[in-house]
Amino acid sequence: MSVNIEMSSFFGLYTNNVLITKVEGKTVRECLHNLVKQFPKLERLILDQDGNLRRTYDYFINGQSVYPKDMNRPLKDSDKLNLLYVIHGG
Amino acid sequence: MLTKEELQRYDRQMLIYGFGEAGQEKLKKAKVFLAGAGGLGSPVAFYLAAAGVGTLRIADHDKVELSNLNRQILHWEENIGQRKTDSAADKLKRLNANIKIETISETITEANVLKLVGDADLIVDAMDNLPTRYLLNKAAFAKGIPFCHGAVYGFEGRAMTVLPGKTACLNCLYHGASVPKEKFPVIGVTPAVIGCIQATEVIKYIVGLGELLTDRLLNYDALQMKFSEFKVNRDPNCEVCGDKRKKR
Repeated sequence: MSVNIEMSSFFGLYTNNVLITKVEGKTVRECLHNLVKQFPKLERLILDQDGNLRRTYDYFINGQSVYPKDMNRPLKDSDKLNLLYVIHGG
Repeated sequence: MLTKEELQRYDRQMLIYGFGEAGQEKLKKAKVFLAGAGGLGSPVAFYLAAAGVGTLRIADHDKVELSNLNRQILHWEENIGQRKTDSAADKLKRLNANIKIETISETITEANVLKLVGDADLIVDAMDNLPTRYLLNKAAFAKGIPFCHGAVYGFEGRAMTVLPGKTACLNCLYHGASVPKEKFPVIGVTPAVIGCIQATEVIKYIVGLGELLTDRLLNYDALQMKFSEFKVNRDPNCEVCGDKRKKR
């Protein structure tokens, strides 16, 4: 099952400027873990030592916020997962 | 009532359909609390002052530094070492002598945030850190006044408007996510864009025009020159505005 992942330019440094990609996975966790296999520099950036998404990052599914933000949330074929850095500057 | 000078000064914006003298009078009566007189606060303050918002209440505890000048256009070389609020008030009064500028050179804390916001009609979040943003979001909810969020990083920026109790709040969006304190990268054109969007939201809300940026997170990626939107749903379990919280 294939999920589309989109990232903002922030991630380009860690992905050789690839910002749109496809990954296999049935849950947010599986997709993010397969994403970091594609782009190993992302692993320490976005995942903590337990393999969870760090709290400095956020995701939207099919353009919408989801609650709770659970790593085990199921995803369907062709779903879109947007990955964002929680920007905070002013 | 608008003066003869104000009728002339704001003539072009009063020509906008739905704006008129009534809209200008609403702006004149409005009081906006601006949290931060830095990269985002600069364009917000300039454009609200230019538009004739009657009172700008500006809070910032910092002094102007050389490294601020790439983006904080309220402050110039001659202001280095001065309080940002003083530097801001000087420029804004020179731009528009008919508006009132109130300055607060204090750190916004949980203990003083409600007092500092005072009787403002709206809060603009032009801060440089998440913890203070959460305090302002809570204050907006407590007072039942709108909250215009903006944030930047490098060439990216985001904005969202909150109508407390009616639309998703900042805590629904980020769930208290924290980011380590850091010297964040930024170029002036990014807060210029986002600050102008925040100022636009303020003007629209006060005048009562258009659709606000509520329940939507606007994402600006300048390197790709793309604007995108995410639908932000209210979280029923939100610690700030959630229905379940209110029933406790």
